[in-house]
Amino acid sequence: MHDIARLACESTAANAQAADPARASSGRAALVEVPADAGELHRFFHERRWSDGLPVIPPTPESVARMLRHTERAPGEVVALLTPTYGAATVERIAINAVIAGCEPDYLPVLIAATEAMVAPEFNLQSVQTTTNPAAVWLIVNGPIAQRLMVNAGGNCLGSGALANATLGRALRLIQQNIGGAQPGDTDRATQGQPGKYTFCCAENVEENPWEPLHVERGFAAQANTVTVVGALGTWNIYTEAKDAHDLLRVIADTMTFPAGSDYVFGGEPWLVLCPEHARVLKQDGLSKAEVKRQLWELSKMAARRLAAKDLVRTQGARRAELGEIGPDTLLPITVRPENISIIVAGGEGNHSTYIPNCGLSRSVTRAVAL
Amino acid sequence: MAGSLQVLDPVAPGRNESQQTRRPLDGLAGKVVGFIDNAKPNFDFLVDDLEQLLLSKYGVTKVIKRRKRGPPMPAPAMIMKELSEQCSLVITGAGD
Repeated sequence: MHDIARLACESTAANAQAADPARASSGRAALVEVPADAGELHRFFHERRWSDGLPVIPPTPESVARMLRHTERAPGEVVALLTPTYGAATVERIAINAVIAGCEPDYLPVLIAATEAMVAPEFNLQSVQTTTNPAAVWLIVNGPIAQRLMVNAGGNCLGSGALANATLGRALRLIQQNIGGAQPGDTDRATQGQPGKYTFCCAENVEENPWEPLHVERGFAAQANTVTVVGALGTWNIYTEAKDAHDLLRVIADTMTFPAGSDYVFGGEPWLVLCPEHARVLKQDGLSKAEVKRQLWELSKMAARRLAAKDLVRTQGARRAELGEIGPDTLLPITVRPENISIIVAGGEGNHSTYIPNCGLSRSVTRAVAL
Repeated sequence: MAGSLQVLDPVAPGRNESQQTRRPLDGLAGKVVGFIDNAKPNFDFLVDDLEQLLLSKYGVTKVIKRRKRGPPMPAPAMIMKELSEQCSLVITGAGD
């Protein structure tokens, strides 16, 4: 207590203040001499905490210049200031990290749009970057650009094997780390993290989607190119051979219903990646995407007694304005409104969908990709 | 460096700048003190104890306590406005 009084009254104490974006200098990147040998280069980047631990492509001035040809924006233009260190994400720095990750030059506009999306207030980047949650930024690419860049929307779309999926997600992670300052074990305070923090990117399977795609649902034209950023806590496989819509929704909702996540505590924004087969089953029974969301919202309500005692207290504090007094028998909806359950269709053959819980109070953001 | 090449630095300098942004107080007597509770369990108990000390030992006239919806979100503008208008000192932190 004495320390609090001393700090309040002494004149020499200083505190940190976020920089004003208007004052951010463009600051072109400096040249650094590095070993030419691939193995030594890898170790050099790792020792300076410039990489994610995987091998890197050297961002030479020539390779960065090739990437910069794919935007009309000036290299020194500040796209965003990224928390927690408020580093200036210039177009050039985004390109440098894209090269390191192995991106093709024409991926750059997607990463510029994703960087802009991450600083929307509702995304709550500060929380995503520094939380103890295993928060990864999942990129969803929509529109013709997804096919042009060959972002995988089919089999293994959340797995390995596609250059765009592997390197776009990795580049965004490096941007978070090298520009935003989210260094693992330092400002990135994740208790365990998750593999999705190496890369997490896919497109939507438009050919197999029986409903409107995500970007159209969010007000963009079908031919628009967009990228959506999601604060994602992991992937949970939903394997069921159900061929009846009600049976399928019941099982999916039951999978979503678990007491150890943030969605029920705050009223979140959980995601479903429905495989084409599951989407067909629902569509064939005449369900729209909105109706699927409504039924899942009803079926996934969870009795508050399933929460740990301390988590129930947190929920009572966080959702009192929305739900009134919350007791053990209160049925908690997973989101404030049914439309906050988000759905895309992706993947190949088979009966496996994916549940992706949301990172606390982060909300996904979709931005147009400027070509 | 033998066998070297030149690359561009991928790191952005941090822009958290240390600077004096508040007026130091001449003491706590007669002041209103605010707390932003980040909604972690037990922070409210800690604040209750601090409130008693501030009122009984330091001459603080009033303590205003406000709780966020949850730790990962910023305090809403309404709370920030209320505390900045009414308090000479605002304390935030985490209990657990």
